Amino acid sequence: MRLAPYIAYLKKSFLRKSAYRFDHLMSILSTCLRIFIFWEIYRTLYGTRQEVDGITMAMVTTNFILSMGLDVVFGMDDNFIPGKIHDGSIATELLRPMSIKGRMIAENMGSSVFKLIFHFIPALLIAQIMIGILPPASPMMFMCFLISALLGYGVMWSISFALQMLSFWVITTWSITTLKNVVINIFSGTMLPLWFMPEWMDRILRFLPFSSIYFTPVQIYLGQLSGAEILEKCCIQIIWILIIYCVGDILWKCGQRKLVVQGG
Amino acid sequence: MSLIEVSNISKSFKVNKRKSGVTGMLANLLVPKYEIRQAVKDISFSIEKGEMVGFIGPNGAGKSTTIKMLSGILYPDNGKICVGGKIPYKQRKEYVGNIGVVFGQKSQLQWDLPVIDSLELLKAIYRIPDEKYHKNLERFVEILDMGSFLHQPVRQLSLGQRMRADIVAALIHSPQIVFFDEPTIGVDVVGKETIRNFIRELNAEDEITMLFTTHDMQDIEKVCERLIVIDKGEKIYDGSLLGIREKYGTTRQLDVEFARMEQIAPIENVEIVELDALDGKKKRFVFENKKVAINDLMNYILQNYQVRDISISEPEIESIIRKIYNGEVVTV
Repeated sequence: MRLAPYIAYLKKSFLRKSAYRFDHLMSILSTCLRIFIFWEIYRTLYGTRQEVDGITMAMVTTNFILSMGLDVVFGMDDNFIPGKIHDGSIATELLRPMSIKGRMIAENMGSSVFKLIFHFIPALLIAQIMIGILPPASPMMFMCFLISALLGYGVMWSISFALQMLSFWVITTWSITTLKNVVINIFSGTMLPLWFMPEWMDRILRFLPFSSIYFTPVQIYLGQLSGAEILEKCCIQIIWILIIYCVGDILWKCGQRKLVVQGG
Repeated sequence: MSLIEVSNISKSFKVNKRKSGVTGMLANLLVPKYEIRQAVKDISFSIEKGEMVGFIGPNGAGKSTTIKMLSGILYPDNGKICVGGKIPYKQRKEYVGNIGVVFGQKSQLQWDLPVIDSLELLKAIYRIPDEKYHKNLERFVEILDMGSFLHQPVRQLSLGQRMRADIVAALIHSPQIVFFDEPTIGVDVVGKETIRNFIRELNAEDEITMLFTTHDMQDIEKVCERLIVIDKGEKIYDGSLLGIREKYGTTRQLDVEFARMEQIAPIENVEIVELDALDGKKKRFVFENKKVAINDLMNYILQNYQVRDISISEPEIESIIRKIYNGEVVTV
């Protein structure tokens, strides 16, 4: 597989993202606002206490700033395949001698790189100046954080991929993706850090992929995991990517047989 | 073995049958009703390298579905397609690099970008070498007269311009096989002529194999030698354009302009049509050339009436096709 065509799509998606400047500024503002709102909520909840269940306010702050930032970068175009099936342009996409999955990744990466540079980093700087976050536990941990974040991206992508494949059967997947976003928001530890989940919930979440997305990288960043635990958690991330991707791929293969090209 | 081998392919779709209005909507929400529609039934044909084949049939006959199966977009339910040793729907990625497809109703160009940018993107996708890309581009732009709008965004093009740009987009990588799905739809007379000339030239010079669907019989007459007619998903004719005339075009028509208004007594096996309802001077005599001898008929008319002008014509291919669609001609 030669990469040139995919890189062409990556670049195109990066450039397209930069075309809407106003929209972009507004989205930075909205991320900062979300961070401030959560900061205020947790400040009130913590009151004068130094820590809750051994978790300091600074850790909670770092968790939601990092995971909200990653959430921005990990944003997937959940309408990539459904949109193309809906308007029938899937037909012309299938005429290109390239893998549609590869293209999906390329386009997502293009916009993610853009959002990383021009959205995540500015928002992080603003949050750092106004609120302040903890530094990474060590340079080594920071490297592990980056690797784990990349794997988290993989988990997020494969969830989006598998869900998009349902559009071969249901045409509009808006409700499914909305549900997905809500579930991820709650169970991935963005809003409510997974430290504070009750025991029974924690046990359920262990068998679900959501904590692999943001929470594992954040835990590594904060130095909460030992070397062996990091290895274990990263393996879990990889296993989730493989499982969800395979499910998505089976749906993709079946879906292609069922494909109906809309509009003549 | 032929370049394109299609054997006994079928494809059906599930269609949601819904009654109109709010009650229909509610009923559908609770108990959706589906109907299986057979789009393509057991079609087989083969096409040799360098052939130019017209693929016609009324709306909903299954032409586009067949083209989509041939281009690897849709899977046939049954049967097998083999193009140049590859199975389109199974080896899609390797296969589509060698074909070009023009969908008259779907643009493959990037809506917001100038035409040239879309072509540049295609150059990257198909990994076209620089030299070949520029050679093809120059040649196509010249023949299709596209210089004036190459740098305009696609959304600002007229339909005819867009179609020409789409054709170039489908051919820029020098495919060996090209499928045209209604390439002249909505294009004016001059534009159609340009497109037809271009297609003819490409077929003659580069030996590109082409399959061509259209509703415009002029397209077929001017471009194709061979014709495949399908109706309701079934193949009903496969042969030369000439053959279809010989086989089904047995009616002749005699247009006569009389010196004055005439009342013609009925003639056996001849249908008389008034061409000019106002003064009744022009009449058309339609008959089967097997049943009625033409000189007998002409003699009869000339002897009995005063004739100012007379002309005989074969039916247009279009009217033959119309008869086939309407089931007036029994096909074997």
